[in-house]
Amino acid sequence: MGCMTTSTAVLHRLRAELGSRLSTDPAELQGARADRSGYTAPGMPLAIVRAESIADVQAVMRIATEWRVPVVPQGAATGLAGGGAGSDGAIVLSTASMNRILEVALADELAEVEPGVINQALSDAVAQYGLVFSPDPASKAISTIGGNIATNAGGLLCAKYGVTREAVLGLTVVLPDGRMLETGHRSIKGVTGYDLTALFTGSEGTLGVIVGATVRLRPIAAGTVVTIGAFFDTIVAAAAASAAVTAARLRPAVMELIDHEALKAIDAFNGTTLSASGGAYLLVQTDGGASVDEADRILAIVTGAGGTAELTIDPEVGERLLAVRRSVHPSLAARGEVLIEDVCVPRSQLAAMFGEIERIGAKWGLSIPTVAHAGDGNLHPNFVITPELALASGEVPDVVWQAAGELFRAALDLGGTLTGEHGIGVLKKRWLRDEVGTDSFDLQRQIKAVFDPLGIMNPGTMF
Amino acid sequence: MSGAAAPAGIVSGVTPTEPAAWLAELTAGVATWSTTDEHTAAAGADRSGTRQAGLPSVVVYAHTVADVVHTLTVAHRHRVPVVTRGAGSGLAGGATAGSTAIVLDLASMNRIVEISPVDGLARVEPGVITADLDRAAAGHGLFYAPDPGSVAISTIGGNIATNAGGLRGAKYGVTRDAVLALDVVLADGTVVHTGRDTVKGVTGYDLTALFVGSEGTLGVVVGATVRLLPRPKGQATAAAYFSSVDAAARASVLLATLGVRPAVVELVDGRTLAAIDDLRGTDHATRGAAFLLVQTDGFGAIAEIEVVAESLRQSALSVEVSADAALALALAAARRDALPAIEARGRVLIEDIAVPRSRLAEAFEAVTEISERTGIEIYQFAHAGDGNLHPIIVIPPGFAATEIPAHVQAAADEIFALALRLGGTLTAEHGIGRLKAAWVEREVGPEAHRLMRGIRALFDPRGILNPGTSV
Repeated sequence: MGCMTTSTAVLHRLRAELGSRLSTDPAELQGARADRSGYTAPGMPLAIVRAESIADVQAVMRIATEWRVPVVPQGAATGLAGGGAGSDGAIVLSTASMNRILEVALADELAEVEPGVINQALSDAVAQYGLVFSPDPASKAISTIGGNIATNAGGLLCAKYGVTREAVLGLTVVLPDGRMLETGHRSIKGVTGYDLTALFTGSEGTLGVIVGATVRLRPIAAGTVVTIGAFFDTIVAAAAASAAVTAARLRPAVMELIDHEALKAIDAFNGTTLSASGGAYLLVQTDGGASVDEADRILAIVTGAGGTAELTIDPEVGERLLAVRRSVHPSLAARGEVLIEDVCVPRSQLAAMFGEIERIGAKWGLSIPTVAHAGDGNLHPNFVITPELALASGEVPDVVWQAAGELFRAALDLGGTLTGEHGIGVLKKRWLRDEVGTDSFDLQRQIKAVFDPLGIMNPGTMF
Repeated sequence: MSGAAAPAGIVSGVTPTEPAAWLAELTAGVATWSTTDEHTAAAGADRSGTRQAGLPSVVVYAHTVADVVHTLTVAHRHRVPVVTRGAGSGLAGGATAGSTAIVLDLASMNRIVEISPVDGLARVEPGVITADLDRAAAGHGLFYAPDPGSVAISTIGGNIATNAGGLRGAKYGVTRDAVLALDVVLADGTVVHTGRDTVKGVTGYDLTALFVGSEGTLGVVVGATVRLLPRPKGQATAAAYFSSVDAAARASVLLATLGVRPAVVELVDGRTLAAIDDLRGTDHATRGAAFLLVQTDGFGAIAEIEVVAESLRQSALSVEVSADAALALALAAARRDALPAIEARGRVLIEDIAVPRSRLAEAFEAVTEISERTGIEIYQFAHAGDGNLHPIIVIPPGFAATEIPAHVQAAADEIFALALRLGGTLTAEHGIGRLKAAWVEREVGPEAHRLMRGIRALFDPRGILNPGTSV
């Protein structure tokens, strides 16, 4: 894209300012076109810059502004909506190498980090002080905190411990013109002016480049971690049981649902026989001082709702059960390209949403294995593009888009949202206006223009 | 004032037309309104201890979304400033209104529309009193977590406008964390819905968080969906006296390293204790020069309070612990009586800085130094769990209610500068309002201020929403 002389001039400038941090290696450019969403951007990025400092990011943005070249910020590229896929003619700006934990302040229960720090690496670093970084997306072993902030990542523990936004106190951001901005503060509270920190959180690289963050840490919950696994005849019954747990004012740290299609995929991948034990699986974990008491009450509810349950206080067994849940994605990926959806509905509508997924799957002749964070109503229906389903072009078959569209419609009709934690990215932008409405959509685009008047920040993502 | 140029499109300084040109049009479309001095004077005041010059032209008592839409449509057409208010319990002057303004009073829109126990949420109108919502939630075994000191008199809409905090902020979050979705009337009368009824959701920018804390400058909140949490079972309280504020502050900081998370950690200084003794005939000041109140809640409340008490005993003069609700209430009296006791001594200017918790002792010490050096009476108490300090300045008698004496403002300015120097913020939970507007750029920096002004101009191109307030 663009005229050859511009590209040459931009590359010349980038090389002069960034030296070996710049790469135009064709294999690397090829790799930068994709994230983990199954989407690969058409065309070819212009270059990759692996920034090592804020000054590097500023240099890239100044050059990009001068020549009006699009920039796609990237962390670990584990995104599931295409928002980090390097687009045609763009500079892919990776902050993955900016991965230092700059400070851990124990009394203030916070850390100052660079954006490329891996989520789990921060928790590992502060575990010795009895602290943990709450946001726990399933990708936490491989995803970066910068990427978590860009997507406002969720995870398994959110109903009890909140999402990424609640854990971010302040940000350092490089604006599209290269100027640096600090938002928020190191205090827990603060209401001076508009909440730009919250605005950047979840903005998917469309407003600026996150180059630093002040994040909250929390004490690791005391007490025994108790894990309950229960099989149900149907996913609707399992969902009803999870709703009963919430309705009893209990707040487990983890409450996950796995449907029969997903159990079958896990069995095929791991050589287990889970799918023979029931039509759906509910996994619950309690923590904190009253975890045993809470778990006993949950066990009674689950059993009363028709579940065949086992309870363990053995941390290793508990971790093994959680590993079952985490193996869903690799199990599906072994069958083909996976398109993970991410709808979220009010908890009371969870069973209804599972019913809708069954209906839509049957209507379009598709298997839609689904898992859900039941505590917060967040479902991940998966479309697996098996070799039989795949198009020669590598694009997502139309039948999948049709089914996905119906899925989103159903979630919105149930009072939900089309994405609970993955973001709009490229893949869901066709439905953004449907959810937020035209007036809000226009306001959002105008907000983007306030920050990015030239439209060079991750164009094609979100809008 | 700020040195940053106003972005294109913003009107700095509204020049409204004569009321005659728009008043008839406005009042023809709403059921309840008043132009009498008695009503407009009351509608132009909040609890900040300051007033604006002149009286508002009219106060509209909105009962429906249609009333709000009509008011803003007329105001927008005629470029008349609109000051939205709930209970008028604000402490930063954000709900004060002066001559020619329309005051839009939402206190009558006070229905709790729905409580959904399974989804853990409530749908409310903006005029609902915060404590009323919490009481209604209690009927379902739930609670509404944000609890500003004004919880018994302030409205949810006002809490949202200021992103109100409270005593339980460190454990349960502030108002922003509790707001899932909003219905907002924009400056030109357009109604938008932001957010969603789900716990998670990342579709597009977080406009809900943008409206929370915007102090009536981006739109008028006419409905909110808020999160309710399981009501904590069990509560335990520890009350301790210390020989100095410094010792109490240090003890409160230590609590953060014990792996427990108290719901409430409140610190009251010796000067305030003496004022309480004057008001109530108690003997707090003889028991210590500072008071620390800690509350734990949930299933582990008693185990947690024992950990807390053991830590406090290392440095306190005395520590009392109770899991009995009535006794806990008695122990908490010193904190509850703090503000009334100070207010009994004169007109107050309530400051609201926050610092990183670890700097709390330094902040107390520096404020004391300011008070001693300037001779200005400053009382201090703090939500120590989240580093939120309220220095309360008693304004000497003899000054008009519209005026903050120069030497008092100078002391307030020193307190703001102190907060920034310690890595904190001018305002933790009360808002910028009008009183701190001149300080915003110093805290957020010219870049952020420019962007905030740009956002404001986008939502309110004619500059009619609460001009002079916030950014």
